[in-house]
Amino acid sequence: METSQRETSYRRVPDEPELDLYTIPSHSSWFSWDEIHETEKLALKEFFDGSSISRTPRIYKEYRDFIINKYREEPSSRLTFTEIRKSLVGDVNLLHKVFIFLETWGLINFGATSDDNDFTEVEDGESSIIKIEEGVPNGIRVGATPNSVKPISAPPAVEDGAIVNGSGFKLPPLTSYSDVFSDLLKQKILACGNCGQHCGSRYHQCAKDGYLICKNCFNDGNYGEQRLSEDFELKTNEFVEDSSNPGAVWTEAETLLLLESVLKHGDDWELVAQNVQTKTKLDCILKLVELPFGDSLLCSEAQRNEVSGSTNNLTSEKEITDAPTNNQEIAGSEDQCTKDINEDKDEENQGPPKRQCTAYVQDTSSSLMKQVALISSMVGQHIMAAAATASVTALCDENLHPKEIFDDQDFFVPNGLCSAASTTTNHEIERILNNDDSVAKERPPQSGDVMAEDKDDIPLILRVRAAIATALGAAAARSKLLADQEEREMEYLLAIMIETQMKKMQRKIKHFEDLELIMETECPVIEELEDKLLMERVSVLQSAFDLGISRWKDYPSVRS
Amino acid sequence: MKSSASPHSKAPFKFRIPTAENLVPIRLDIEIDGQRFKDAFTWNPSDPDSEVVVFAKRTVKDLKLPPAFITQIAQSIQSQLTEFRSFEGQDMYTGEKIIPIKLDLRVNNTLIKDQFLWDLNNYESDPEEFSRTLCKDLGIEDPEVGPAIAFAIREQLYEIAVQNVASARESRMSKKGRRGFEHVPVSKTGGASVDLVKLFGHRSSVVRKRKDWDIYEPIVDLLSNEEVDALEAKEERTAR
Repeated sequence: METSQRETSYRRVPDEPELDLYTIPSHSSWFSWDEIHETEKLALKEFFDGSSISRTPRIYKEYRDFIINKYREEPSSRLTFTEIRKSLVGDVNLLHKVFIFLETWGLINFGATSDDNDFTEVEDGESSIIKIEEGVPNGIRVGATPNSVKPISAPPAVEDGAIVNGSGFKLPPLTSYSDVFSDLLKQKILACGNCGQHCGSRYHQCAKDGYLICKNCFNDGNYGEQRLSEDFELKTNEFVEDSSNPGAVWTEAETLLLLESVLKHGDDWELVAQNVQTKTKLDCILKLVELPFGDSLLCSEAQRNEVSGSTNNLTSEKEITDAPTNNQEIAGSEDQCTKDINEDKDEENQGPPKRQCTAYVQDTSSSLMKQVALISSMVGQHIMAAAATASVTALCDENLHPKEIFDDQDFFVPNGLCSAASTTTNHEIERILNNDDSVAKERPPQSGDVMAEDKDDIPLILRVRAAIATALGAAAARSKLLADQEEREMEYLLAIMIETQMKKMQRKIKHFEDLELIMETECPVIEELEDKLLMERVSVLQSAFDLGISRWKDYPSVRS
Repeated sequence: MKSSASPHSKAPFKFRIPTAENLVPIRLDIEIDGQRFKDAFTWNPSDPDSEVVVFAKRTVKDLKLPPAFITQIAQSIQSQLTEFRSFEGQDMYTGEKIIPIKLDLRVNNTLIKDQFLWDLNNYESDPEEFSRTLCKDLGIEDPEVGPAIAFAIREQLYEIAVQNVASARESRMSKKGRRGFEHVPVSKTGGASVDLVKLFGHRSSVVRKRKDWDIYEPIVDLLSNEEVDALEAKEERTAR
């Protein structure tokens, strides 16, 4: 047995560090590497009666451990008797018995595929307890790469690619990842065939063999061997342009141009890009997506396409787009206010505000500005104004530059926003509470004329930040409201609870009162009964005395 | 049958085929008028001998052989049974005895080479079950292979048993009273019995060395019809 310990511990070494999990049936939970269980002794008596040198507990344990280890090298495939008997010295019949025993108890081939043909006939000499897997395990089937689904599940990417490439090619069904994206990947690292440098956004490609040279080489006349300048055609590589490329930097004028083109041409990016001129299609798309209100623009665009010809819609949407871009009057805070006003106006025109709110709530894809408008319409207007003011104040504190801008531009509010925040707030509240029609009326001409002049005065970033801050403030106010409501609800519930407890107590008190009443009525009856008993006793004693029984015996009982 | 295989008794075993079922391997090879009949099967020696003739008649009828075969078949079986019975009642061998069995046979298109150890004291052994498992594990589909393997094992066991009857008699003569647990030296017992102490002693593992795995591993070849024909022709030549 001493040697068997050594043997088994040696053999278990590969198992232990990995701590692999093997499943054995619950009825075999008696199994333990270190001992031989009674079940084993009963089933395989011959090993334990000491009858033979070839059948000892030690040998049994070696057989058992080897077979189980062998199976666990590859638990998914069925271990066969023929496989193990070549590795074990001993009577094949005995080995077969041990094998069948282990198999019956599920210590081997439990959960293995019972595919009879799935045998491994010849194991190479290297296969042992420590087995290095080569190739795909039996349990794994090699199927089609899941990437093939990609273009189907993500059609926008394909669409973009098709548009950008300008060729209306269609992807075949079951396209693989590399089919779709390999071209793009290649284009990203386009290098000049001559100088070896990156080609940038524009390069020249030889129509014959696809040989590429960069713009500089083309201008210099380095066409490479056996190629003429006529062979080359100018190509623009849209994919190279990203934020690191100068093409990605947008001036305000370009942005405005883009917005105008989008309004004019919708999502016909070819036309938009033509209009913008200095930018490519991809740039235009990216820029518009980056813009905080881009979504709303596109949405409204879509609306317009649906309800084409509705001029009323067109103007309102123009206002929406104008609001963030051209708002020059009170910058961030007023930005929001004008939004409010716009909405107020819409409400006046189109019906109750509530309905509009719910409509916005359902639109999950609405842009930031839309969210701001929604949130601001949820809270009270004076809260909104306060939040806006606070946010602008905070922004001013953060940076002196915006302060100046706000101060300069703030002709609507005479005092500076920061210097006289309170007066500003009052003013705003007053104005908004009155729901000043004049402001609303003033807006359209401003957006048309005055705004156009000063459109670039306040950087877009700043306005966006102001809007964000306002939105946060509004959200905070909104959450405060919600919290208040929640608190009220809690108080109400608590009151109900207390009331219920009170009722319970009262019921109990009433119950006890009833009990008392019953007791009271019973009390005289019992007293009467006592008197009667006493009288009886007295009479009995009296009759006893009359008969001449000694007195002392009864004395205490009479006393009591 | 199992009761006779009590491993406790150190007394010599009486002669029999050392398997669970005491079945005698019978091989027939009869040629009459150019017609040759070859067959191999097992026979239970405890069956009445009248069965032999019935079996012969049945076989001839099933295989549409000339009636002359009946007596030949019956005689052949009967003589082999008689030979077997002549050993019965004699002491076979004593102590532990584990022998290597080597298989090298061709059944139709299947060629099998194999080697494994067989314990002659294990009276629970079952060559038929063993060959069934072997065919199943190796995916051998030819239904004739399994019985052929079992028969080959039985033949070898029979042969060794016969050898041991003689050697047991011999050793009984030479060293009386010295028997039992101690294994009998290989040279004396006859046959190629393995050295038990070396294999199962405390110092050795029952797990074979890697290099021996190939030796004790069944090798199965599926021959093409042409190869079978060539082999048969070769066997024919060597037989003559």
